Amino acid sequence: MMVSFTPRRRKPSMTKPSIPVGIIFSQHGPYQAMGCEIFKSAMMAVDEINDQAEFDFSIIPHVRDPRGIVSEYHTACDDLIRNVGVEHIVGCYTSASRKQVLPIVERTDRLLWHPARYEGFECSDNVIYVGASPNHNVLPLVRYVLDNLSREIFCVGSNYVWSWETNRVTRELATAAGGRIIAERLLELGESAVGHMVDEIVRRRPPVVFNTLVGSSSYAFIRAFHAATTAAGLDIPMLSCSLCEPELKIVGPASAGCITSSAYFESIRLPENRAFVARWKARYGEDSSPSVDGQSAYVSVYLLARALQRAGTSNIGEVRRAAAGLRYNSPQGPVWIDGGNNHCVLTPRLAVSNADGQFDIFWEADAPVKPDPYLTQLDVAVTPARDGASSGAPHLRVVK
Amino acid sequence: MSKPSSFSLRGRKALVAIKDERDASIVKRQFERLGIDIVASELCAVADGHPDVALIDDEFLPLASPAQRAALGQCPVIALLGTETPSRLKLVLELDPASFLVKPLRSAGIYAALVVAFEKSERTNELKQQVLKLEQRLRSRRIVLAAVLQVMHARALTEPAAFAFIRRAAMEQRKTIEEISAEITMKGYRPRAG
Repeated sequence: MMVSFTPRRRKPSMTKPSIPVGIIFSQHGPYQAMGCEIFKSAMMAVDEINDQAEFDFSIIPHVRDPRGIVSEYHTACDDLIRNVGVEHIVGCYTSASRKQVLPIVERTDRLLWHPARYEGFECSDNVIYVGASPNHNVLPLVRYVLDNLSREIFCVGSNYVWSWETNRVTRELATAAGGRIIAERLLELGESAVGHMVDEIVRRRPPVVFNTLVGSSSYAFIRAFHAATTAAGLDIPMLSCSLCEPELKIVGPASAGCITSSAYFESIRLPENRAFVARWKARYGEDSSPSVDGQSAYVSVYLLARALQRAGTSNIGEVRRAAAGLRYNSPQGPVWIDGGNNHCVLTPRLAVSNADGQFDIFWEADAPVKPDPYLTQLDVAVTPARDGASSGAPHLRVVK
Repeated sequence: MSKPSSFSLRGRKALVAIKDERDASIVKRQFERLGIDIVASELCAVADGHPDVALIDDEFLPLASPAQRAALGQCPVIALLGTETPSRLKLVLELDPASFLVKPLRSAGIYAALVVAFEKSERTNELKQQVLKLEQRLRSRRIVLAAVLQVMHARALTEPAAFAFIRRAAMEQRKTIEEISAEITMKGYRPRAG
């Protein structure tokens, strides 16, 4: 159902045209905690946009909850397109769910606005990838570790594409730097029996542990890891590309000290972020925190709305063209879509989680970084500096 | 020396012969994302040598001339299939494709087809080298046998002892058994006992 409108020509007395938008996030099921956070952020953006006079339309959200069941994403998407007539869908958290939706949006020529960071190696004309690409999250973290902490890394992860690919990149970089992956231990999704992995870590005492476990598996691991290493008197840094503030609250004090790579932290000191966090807390409670993927869902809805406004129509070809290069000063800083690959240009950051359930940012890129979903610019031979020369790896720098 | 990631295709040169404009534009866009240069858009000789990979639409099959086949050199071929009928597949197989894609094309699948094609081509080339080496050795077995017989007669040795004698001589002189055997048979050379 294509909706056209003429930006800036509407008289105040006229009713704004409505644009139906599908919202697909799992608010129940195995990753409901994160799904709810993302959903809440998307709805906050929808309400804000509908209250703003600068937009010549209203977004009518059509919400679907696939409950974490992969096949339900296909059903929900099919229903939204066939029965509601949406052209734009904001949704999907896991890569498995995105892959379910992809064939339908491509066949029917719709546009999926995908907020979550992912492992890369995909580039559909019918998806706008708003989350971080692998060169935004995995590369800065691994380069930092190789340069500053260790060239030997112990990997724990979920038996899932996110861990497989993250570990593959880590292995290539570590090997090229003369290091190695000490071990790669994977758990089935949702599995929380982490004792054997923690026992092995305490026995082998690796210099650093890279945690790519997701959801409840990760929470169980972080608690057990903290208890076991504390009891053994070990101080082993943990790394993550996915940990976020709501998860720090779920895990509790054991989550402190995790070195995390992300484009968004609640502690970013930008006026746009301070205002965003204030609005978030006013709406969802002083004790709650937005997450990186939630903030990205918020950004996704805003990027969609701004592209709709620029295009003057909901037609996906025109909206996609309008979105390319359209800069938005978001809570995480300036972002825009790279028209060449439909991925987001954004600013990578590194931080350490603290005992207050927040992150202390210690590094950020000097400027927003172009997305490289296929890692075509990755040169594994660019090893950490050994002679003081710059390697392009992030060095410790306090960001205030 | 700088070495790209084994899964990075940046800087590779491609010959792309695709009939349908939509399919061609999808390949062009995806190649730009991957950093691959399209050096020819039809089946013709490439100005500076051979391409690294060729995407050939099955609508161009069979290749019209030996010159078209020559344009591909030894590069891996990715066949674009419009139909799965045996008659068409037979023509495609004559190209000895390293990978294939099914039309109409989507951006998904192109990267995987390229990685599979390059990997398969590399492994095939290694196998070919191995086969060549083995064929060479097989041909020289006759010479080794002749040398063994000569040493057996000259030194009154059994066949295993004569072979051990030749092998020891080859090791001492840092030559292959085939090389030392050729010297024994052709020049009448008799290596000293170790």
